[in-house]
Amino acid sequence: MKKNQIDRVWRWQITASAAAALLIACLLAVGFGPVNLNFGSIIRTLLGLPNGLENEDRTLLLELRLPRVVLGAIVGAALATSGAVYQSVFRNPLADPYLLGAASGAGLGATIAITNGGGNLHALLPIFAFLGGVLAVAATFLVAGRLFADPSTLLLAGIAVGSFATAFQTYLQQRNSAALRQVYSWILGELTVANWDVVKWAGFYIFIALFLLIRISKVLDALMLSDEEAYSLGVSPQKIRLIAVAAATLATATAVSASGLIGFVGIVVPHLVRGLTKRATNRSLLSIAFVGAAFLVLADLGARTLLSPAELPIGVITAFVGAPFFLFVLRARNRGSQ
Amino acid sequence: MFKKFARPTALLVTALLLAPLSPVNATSTATKYPLVISSGGYSTTISKKPTRIISLSPSATESLFEIGAGKQVLAVDSLSNYPKSAPITELSAFEPNVEAIAALKPDLVVLSVDAMKSMVVKEALEKLKISVLMEQAPETLSQAYKEIEVLGAVTDHTSDAKKVTFKMAALIKSIVNRTKKTVKITFFHELDSTLYSVTSDTFIGRVYKDFGLVNIADKAAGADSYGYPQLSAEYLLKADPDVIFLADAEYGESAATVKNRAGWSGVTAVSKKNVFALPNDVPSRWGPRLVDFYRYVAACLTKVKK
Repeated sequence: MKKNQIDRVWRWQITASAAAALLIACLLAVGFGPVNLNFGSIIRTLLGLPNGLENEDRTLLLELRLPRVVLGAIVGAALATSGAVYQSVFRNPLADPYLLGAASGAGLGATIAITNGGGNLHALLPIFAFLGGVLAVAATFLVAGRLFADPSTLLLAGIAVGSFATAFQTYLQQRNSAALRQVYSWILGELTVANWDVVKWAGFYIFIALFLLIRISKVLDALMLSDEEAYSLGVSPQKIRLIAVAAATLATATAVSASGLIGFVGIVVPHLVRGLTKRATNRSLLSIAFVGAAFLVLADLGARTLLSPAELPIGVITAFVGAPFFLFVLRARNRGSQ
Repeated sequence: MFKKFARPTALLVTALLLAPLSPVNATSTATKYPLVISSGGYSTTISKKPTRIISLSPSATESLFEIGAGKQVLAVDSLSNYPKSAPITELSAFEPNVEAIAALKPDLVVLSVDAMKSMVVKEALEKLKISVLMEQAPETLSQAYKEIEVLGAVTDHTSDAKKVTFKMAALIKSIVNRTKKTVKITFFHELDSTLYSVTSDTFIGRVYKDFGLVNIADKAAGADSYGYPQLSAEYLLKADPDVIFLADAEYGESAATVKNRAGWSGVTAVSKKNVFALPNDVPSRWGPRLVDFYRYVAACLTKVKK
């Protein structure tokens, strides 16, 4: 009883500090950029107070920098949360949001839009990427059939569907050489030009998905056990698995179509939070969402400032910073458990 | 019904016919701003003569300096390495960083339609009240000339631009006429060592076609809808080109490395020493140095041994 209380207090504090980290990351991100803006004026503009930024500076902050930061936060939250959910659904610490073919499917969709588009289809790239991702995951479930009760069958089906989509994507690239660089850029992931339209639709789907996931997060823990034990707790593992994967896929496909394939967030952040809190994934799903958001906002800040005025692909930063940090946490955790 | 329009139309036609005679037109080459001009498939409004231009296209950079608008150029992208006086920066032409561009406070940005998210970049810059002129890789010489002339109109160097394109056309014509051979020469234009090439439907391919050369990559035209197929080594050896042009010399390929490839020593181009390294950048740009490319190909062809 007493331990439970401590647990609750601690969890609340973790979530609060994750939220604070996100807030600080966002402030840093709107504060810095290739154009030097007065930080006080930025804050005054954001709060709607007088003496804020004017004219082009104001447009720059509100129409370019802010949507980019917000999109980074949304995408980071989506990827980190989906990653955590996939990991518990598949009882596999290496599972990431792209596992069931969402990434390769989205890549194929994007390539179709880029290669056949010329100009017209190009505007539809996000829709194509989204449909590609969702259809690939749906195909994975169909291939696995009734066997989707078994996570490892589903994983293998995901790998097969993913390879098929990748093969088709490569074929299209080969036939349309001029599109290669654009496809490559997209695959590396980028938030370079975000606007409020993207933020609105991506935010809508991701919010629904995350809300659902956080609602069922308590039940998700049961999936960490064997299916028999889950049943004995009164949970239908198949139903939960389906809902969880569907919601996580919705979040992932939306994130991918808004910003390309940004790697590593889905693996690093859940383990990072778990490593720091020593908690099972799902109790801290909200914290994971916050930390994922903060992580990507900071990574994007690096992407647009480190090599300024050139851009660095954000995927390079997430892996370059994320991997060593992740190893450090992993080591610390192992030492702690010995 | 049509009569209603007949009179104004007639007046307009008369006016247009007389226009070249009227004295007002003596200064008509000066651009009148605001100027609405279409380029790269998009229309742009230029409110006043641009004096702070950022060029994110190496070809456009070369053209701007050639037509005398170099002084109006504020910054150019990281690949705009010609002419030497161009104010080269780290700005990326492929992945334009809108905020970094805005930080330089330009009044005009020349952007390639092939840049990542070029349409969104264009809209974002226009929100910041920066005009954007879109550039598209041309498919023909006349399109290339048109782009130079558009840059002329935009920068108020219309007659300079016309002079440049006129001179280019004349030079290219004389180079081609001087060099054209009656004997059929087959060639392979190598983009990289994995044997990507260009068909005669591409801009570069057309240059060789002008000289009457036979492109061995044309048989693979169906492989890539943009005209850049990847050839197989077997096909290449069988096609046995008389000449090889290396567009990948800057990546270390040369007559010697080509000769060392398995089976290549028997290729006519190799055994007759007709392997030529193309100068860097020149073949991939459609600015004024296009003449140099023609000149270079012509010079190679005089050395070709059959």
